[in-house]
Order: sequence, then structure tokens, then C-alpha cells
Amino acid sequence: MSAVWRVARSAMGRRRVQTAVIALVVAVSTGTSVLALGLLVSASGPFQRAHAEQNGAHLVIAYDTTRVSDEQLAATATRPGVEAAAGPFGEVTLDTARSTAARVGSLTTVGRADPAGPVDRLDLWSGRWAAAPGEIVLNVRQGSDDPVPLGSRIEIPGEPVLTVVGFAYSVSASADAWVTPVQLAALHPTTAQVLYRFTTAGTGAEVDAGRAAVTAGVPAAAVLGEQSYLTVEERFDADIGVYVPFLVPFGFLGLAVAVLIVANVVSGAVVSGVRTIGVLKSLGFTPNQVMAVYLLMVLAPAAVGCVVGTIGGNLVARPVLADAFGVGASGIDAWVDVAALVGLPLVVALAAFVSALRARRLPATAAITAGSGPRSGRAVVIQRRLASARLPRSVSLGLGMPFARPARSMLTLAAIVLGVMTVTLSIGVTLSVNAYNDAVRPVHPDRVEFLGGLRGDLSLPADAPGPHPAPTLTDAGDEAALRSLPGSVHVLASAERTVHLLGSQEKPSVVFSRGDSAALGPGIAEGRQAGPGEAVAPSRFLNRRGLALGDTITLELGGNRTQVTFVGVTLTNNADTIFTGWSTLDVLAPGSRAESYTVQLAPGTTREAFVSAVHARDPGLEALPVRDGTSSQAVVLVGSASLLTLVLALVSALGVFNTVVLHTHERRRDLGMLKAIGMTPRQVTAMMITSVGALGVVGGLLGVPLGYLAHRLVGPAMMRAAQSDVFGFVIDVYHAPTLVLLGLAGIVIAVLGALLPAGRAARLPIAAVLHNE
Amino acid sequence: MTNDDNSVVQLTAVRKEYSDSVALDGVSLGIAAGEAVAVMGPSGSGKSTLLNLVAGLDRPTSGSIVVNGEDLGDLTEKGLALFRRRRVGMIFQFFNLLDDLSALDNVALAAQLTGTSAAKARTRALELLDELGIAGRRNLHPAQLSGGERQRVAVARALMNRPALLLADEPTGALDSRSGEQVMDLLLDLNQIGQTLLLVTHDERLAKQCATRVIHVVDGRIASTSDLEHTP
Repeated sequence: MSAVWRVARSAMGRRRVQTAVIALVVAVSTGTSVLALGLLVSASGPFQRAHAEQNGAHLVIAYDTTRVSDEQLAATATRPGVEAAAGPFGEVTLDTARSTAARVGSLTTVGRADPAGPVDRLDLWSGRWAAAPGEIVLNVRQGSDDPVPLGSRIEIPGEPVLTVVGFAYSVSASADAWVTPVQLAALHPTTAQVLYRFTTAGTGAEVDAGRAAVTAGVPAAAVLGEQSYLTVEERFDADIGVYVPFLVPFGFLGLAVAVLIVANVVSGAVVSGVRTIGVLKSLGFTPNQVMAVYLLMVLAPAAVGCVVGTIGGNLVARPVLADAFGVGASGIDAWVDVAALVGLPLVVALAAFVSALRARRLPATAAITAGSGPRSGRAVVIQRRLASARLPRSVSLGLGMPFARPARSMLTLAAIVLGVMTVTLSIGVTLSVNAYNDAVRPVHPDRVEFLGGLRGDLSLPADAPGPHPAPTLTDAGDEAALRSLPGSVHVLASAERTVHLLGSQEKPSVVFSRGDSAALGPGIAEGRQAGPGEAVAPSRFLNRRGLALGDTITLELGGNRTQVTFVGVTLTNNADTIFTGWSTLDVLAPGSRAESYTVQLAPGTTREAFVSAVHARDPGLEALPVRDGTSSQAVVLVGSASLLTLVLALVSALGVFNTVVLHTHERRRDLGMLKAIGMTPRQVTAMMITSVGALGVVGGLLGVPLGYLAHRLVGPAMMRAAQSDVFGFVIDVYHAPTLVLLGLAGIVIAVLGALLPAGRAARLPIAAVLHNE
Repeated sequence: MTNDDNSVVQLTAVRKEYSDSVALDGVSLGIAAGEAVAVMGPSGSGKSTLLNLVAGLDRPTSGSIVVNGEDLGDLTEKGLALFRRRRVGMIFQFFNLLDDLSALDNVALAAQLTGTSAAKARTRALELLDELGIAGRRNLHPAQLSGGERQRVAVARALMNRPALLLADEPTGALDSRSGEQVMDLLLDLNQIGQTLLLVTHDERLAKQCATRVIHVVDGRIASTSDLEHTP
């Protein structure tokens, strides 16, 4: 064992706290870097990444098997330009709205023996694959709400009972559900899907060319439908894109904080050991050997921390990424781990090298006496002024400490600023998400919704109890009854239809209402409520279609047509639903009855009593449970924001922790003396906390405006990514009390970081300290 | 020996053990008000441990220590800090001044810790520096002062809160002979105006000049005590 290693090892043994701090800080910083890099990588082209990961299909074509033979379908896979193909897989549509048990809407169900294959390798993230007839796997993106629990049974009269055994995700959106090929055959399919990957499919034209090639030998009538991955990508980006502007700043903040803290800790460790460097030199160690000792002393714990941090970072990143993107649950890119494992030690080595290089140049005597002379001129002047200040002496002494080590103080301050900025941004995002969610998914405990009938193409919510509602009164009779009951304040009758938007292939849902729309209709963000011949829609609907208020569209249903003009932007989330008055339905589908009635109850009226009274009048009206206002996307956003804030605030606090540890180490003699002349443990603690508390105050003052500005950029970017208008009430979420509280975040980070080492400083054994010095 | 009624310090059967050694073994000692006692002995004999225990910087393993009527065994950490602040003043071999503070602020610090205002503390500190002959150096920092001057600043700091007992640990150990002489004279003067003094030293000359009684400690025990005929 060389002398260098022996000395380094013994130095680590003597400075156990500092060695542990280096390992801990590097571990947390590495973990943060892995998480941050993982976020940045995942946020850059999440669909492309997921598509590449799953070998997603560029084109999915549904063929009519009564018009095309298996041989013809097999031949489509060998056409020029086809890189790979999967299928044909039998396909049927199961209408689970008719199920007497679990209902999950209309399911395009495909028979596949396994989730793997050359194209569209499914991510089976929960449960297992369907192994036998009677089992079904649903297409659900990880992170979104489970439509029904695993083990639920779909019981459609006249069809086999299907038990949900797993959830898988197809980025190609090739199906809603999968069963075994044997099970599918029993459902008598007349459709088969083939999934294609083309050698070139970067543009719509290239996908069209690929389509033309594969369908060249197939009768045109045999092609029932097709889906390009570009269409799927557009939908995916609208759903997932909202996370990108939110997660990217966190990624950069995480990296910045990690590098800052590591540089601070490592340079501090070397600077605080300058005296030992002098002693080693006087013993005959060459300058290079001295440097090697210090590099080893720092790099050894850093290496351990780096490995632990990489593992921890992966563990934390996996659920965050899976929740946000629904993909990458298998882990983050290997190069991210490699970058963290190589990058962080490099940062450590660089920080140590730069500091050690300065120490290396110091003459031995100067190194030995380092720190025993007066500090910088500014520190002395500030201490003199503070000595006359009307402050407790322990506080004024603490306030002067940062000026004795200005570089370290600046690094600590930067870490606090970034920590406060993160907290401010995160709180802002949370407030914005909640404001948006409250607006688009308001929860109204004072309202009751009754189902008054079932439209053929409308399925009941999965948790709605059967049997289907069968009202005994007429539509008008039900509305009149609801209005006449004691406790009823407002009533809104509604019906929903899928309507063809003339001039396009689109079939949006249209909600037709009559009654008290102003009180019970969707909230209006801009414009006004719809009158006859008018409609209102969410900004996502308008923006996706290039429409604006004042524009007119033509709706067609069952051969009837009518025009509506947009006069308002609703506060609703569904991008494919618009709202109009009942007179429009009278044109499109005369004689339709309302399918639901919403009643606002008078204060003091209980829901149960009102429902009983309604059932006494019309037992066929079915009361729906109070709507759940939570959104899985909001939960993921708020959850991710909280986790990331916690991690970054912890790293910032660690930076403070390290600073106070170094202050304590360097000022052991001073602390011993102060205690010897009567400084109480509480005064010592106050002094050490004040030494970083001031930085916390400044950090709060700088970090809050920076976080505020970041939120002004991130908030609108998130809304635009979600194809929504930017609403002021979603962006203007900071109020004066909130900002004041956020300003305290710097102090909280500083105090939390300082508490432990300050307590340790207060307990320093005076006799031992003064004896050793 | 001293009369118990008049004693400032009373140690009874004090024992101090460290993990691998016994520093003091059954030491009993009394120091009367106005007395100047020098503790001498070879390195590792336990004399600094004795001083630390009397100063309340450390706690004995067994036995009792009463200083100015306060049983140190009854005091909490905070109580000990307040005791050090009010009852004792300490002078260290290496001065232990704060490098960032001027001589005046170093002296004033001891009073400011008790809550005395900066202005009052500075007035008192200036008086002390004046009495010790270094008022003209009050704005200089420790690194700009000679060893003797630093020790005078340290003495002024120790006297700041008018302690009942002045404790000095090798007060001339880091000084040249001229500075050492000046500090000796200073301590002697202080004792002659009634300041009780307990000093630990290797310096026989210092002990003879300043102390009225010399205690020799060997292997943690009091080996001998000699009263000195003191001639001012």
C-alpha cells in the first residue's frame, strides 16, 4: 500500500463526517442528475422514443376478410418498402355498454398470441397476457386511471364472458383490447388488421406511398380503415406534451443544483484541509503526492456515492417517467447511467483538482498557518460594523461568517436560490394545475345528475349500477317533475350525439341542452353562453381545428343539417365535445328525449331525500354518483412536482449542511473559545444557523422572482402544449401571501440544512477542542 | 490551606477518567478568595484537566467541584455556560482571540454575550485595555499585535465580566521572555488588588512570582503543596 493511499485512508477515517457528507451529497446529486437527464431525454420526442422502443407500426390497416384472402394479406407484408409486418390479426368490436358487469365502452378487440412480435411490441405493464379463452387484456397507458380493476368480468349477453387479466399499452394504438386468437375466432371476426413498418415513413407522403404499395394487390373495398402513426403521434403529443414544458426546467434545475453542490462540497473539503497539506509537504510529500492524497480522499467516497446515487436515481426516475409518459417503465437509457457514473466523478475530480492545485502551490509554512491570519478586508470591515449593531452578539457573529468565505457562500447561495426557484415553480405549477382542474372538472356537491335514458352509442360509466334507466314519464314530464319538487333550484336537460362535421371526416360529440344553461352549463372562459343557432366549445376543440369565435360550422346527423356559430370558449377539457342548445337537436334529430337531467339543490336539501322524492315520481330515473373532480394527469403533475421539489430542496439543504459542517470544522478553535467565555449552546446554534440563515433570506429574495418568471414561461407553454388557450386564472396564481410564504422557503432550506451541524457545533467538547488546537 | 468559609474553589475527591487513562485521581483542593495558586507538574500529569474542571469546561467522573458557591455538578450545559460567563475568566496559552475582530471587539465580546449593549461593552473594554496599557492598539486585529499584546487583550477579555476567579493555562507559554515578564507583572498586580487566581504553568519563575501557593500534581494526584512567601 503506497504512502499516498495510506495517508488518504487515514484522512478519511479522521474526517468521517466530511467523508460521509461527500458520499451523501454525491449520491443525492447523482440521483438527481439521473432523474434530471432521464426527464430531459424522455421529454425530447416522447412519442418517437416510445414508438422506437415498441417497434411501433407506421400504418395499421383493417381489412374485410370476406373480400380478401389470407394469401393476399400475407403478400402485403412482402411488398417493396415494407421493413416489417405483423398480422393478420382477427379483429372484432365488443360493445361493453351492453355488459351486465364491467363496462369499458366500445372495444376494438384483436386476437394476438403474445405481446411481442416484429411490429407493435406491447408494454404489458400490469397483470399478464391472455393465455386462454375467456381472458382479455386492455390497452391502458401506464399512469392513467385503470378503467376497471384487474379481475373484472365483461359479460355481454350472447358473448363469452371475458375476465380482465392484464393492462398493456400499444403506442401504435392498434387495438383497445386483446384476446387469444382462439378466443377471437369464437367471436366470429370479419375484419383482420395488419401492422406495417416501412423503410421510410418520416412524412405523411411517405406513409401514403407505403399504404399504396401494400394495398396494391388488394381490392379497394377490402380496406375498411387505416391509421397512420402520424395521427396517433398528434393525439399522443396533445396528451403527453403538457408534461414536457413542466419537466424540462426541472431537469435543468436538477443538473445545475447537483453540479453546484458537488463543486461546493468538494472544494470546501480541500480548502478545509489546506493545513494538512502543509504538514504533508513539510514531511516530505511531493506536491503531486499531496494532490493525489486529496483527490483520493475526495474521489473514494464520491465513487461510492455515485454508484448508490445512480441506483437510487433509477429507482426514483422509473415511476416518475412511467407516470408522465407511460413508457420507459423498463428504465431510463443506459447512456444516462453511464453519463452519471462518469460525469459526476469528473465534476468531483475537477472541483477537487482546481482547489488542490491552488493548495499545491502554497508554501508549506503558509499552508500550515492558513486560516490563522485575518480574513479578507471586507470580512473584517463587516465584522466591525456588525459588532456595533443592535443585535444579539451570537447573531451578529453569525451574520459576518459568510463574508469570511465569499466563494463558498456564493455557491451555497446559488444552491439555495435554485432550491427556492424550484419550490416556487413547483407550487405555481401545482396551483395552476389545480386552478385549471377546478375550472374544467368542477365538483358540485349541491347538484344531482339523473340518467333518463340510454342512447344507442353511449355507454354508461363503468361503476354505474345496472340495469339501464327506463324512465316512466315523458321527457317533458320528467323535466317538469324535477322542477316542481321541493329543493329544486335549477334544472338542465341534456342529450349527447356523435355528429358529422361537414367538410371534414370528424365526428365530434355534441351536447344539446335546454333549461338553465347559464347556471348549470359549462363555465365560459371567453365570449358568452350559446343561444339558438350558436355553440360553445373548449379552446382545445377550436385550436385543433383552426376555428375561432364567430366561425360557423355545419353539423349533420341522420341526413339532417344545421349550422351553428361559435360564440363562447368553455372551461371544459374534452377536446372533441361542443355544446349547443336544444333547438339544434330539434333540427338534427327531432323528437329526441333528454338522456340526463342535472338538478341544482337548494341549500339545506339533502341529496338522498331529493333522490327519493324523484324516484317516487319516476322510478326509472337513475341518480349518478357525485362526479370525481380529480384528473389522473393533474395527479401525476402535482405528484411529480412534489417529488422533484422535495429532491431538489433536499439537495439544496445538503449544500447548506455541508457549508455549516465546514464552518464548524474550520472554526473549532473559535467555537471552543466562545463556549469557554460563556457562549451558551443555544447561542452557538443561533450563530451557526444565522451564518446560513442570511443566505437563506437572500436566496428567498432572489429565488422567488426567478421561480415566478419560470412559471410565467412554463405555465403558458404547458397550456399551449395541451392545445388550450392560455387563461389568466391559470397563470396568475401567485398572490401576495403565497409569495411571502415562498420567500421563507430559502430560510427553511437554510435552517433545515444547518440544524444538524449547528447542534453538533453547540455540543463541541470545549476542553478537547482547545487542547487539540 | 484555606478556610472553607472564605473559599472560592472547593474540590472534593475529584476523579477524571478518559477512555484509556485516569487524568485526576481523588484530588481535593480549596482556594481562598484573593489567593493565587499555581499548579505545576510534568506533561500529562493532569494539571490542565484540573483547570478545565474548575472552569466548567469539562465534567469530573466523580467528586464535587464548587466554585463561588455553585456546585458545577448541578449545572446543565447552559448553566455551565452562564457560570463561565459570570464567575470565571480564562486566559489561554495561545490567546484564542477571534481573528476577524479588533482587539476592542474581542474584549467587548465577553460582555456582549451577556446581553450588554455594544456601546456599554465597548466603553468597559476600552477602560480595561487602557488599564492594561494597550488602549492605543484597540483597533488592531490579533495578527497585527505582538504576542504580549495579544495576551493582554486576552486578559482584558477574561476580566470583562468581573470574574470571581481568573484561570490561566500556561499564560506565558507562547511568549518571549520580555512579554512573559509583562504578563507576569500583570497577573501579580491583579492578584494584589484581590483577584483570585489559579494558573497552570511549567514556568517555575512565573509560579514563584505570581502565586502564594504552588501545588505539584503528578500522575493525577497532588504530590505536594508549598506556601510561598510573596514579596511584592
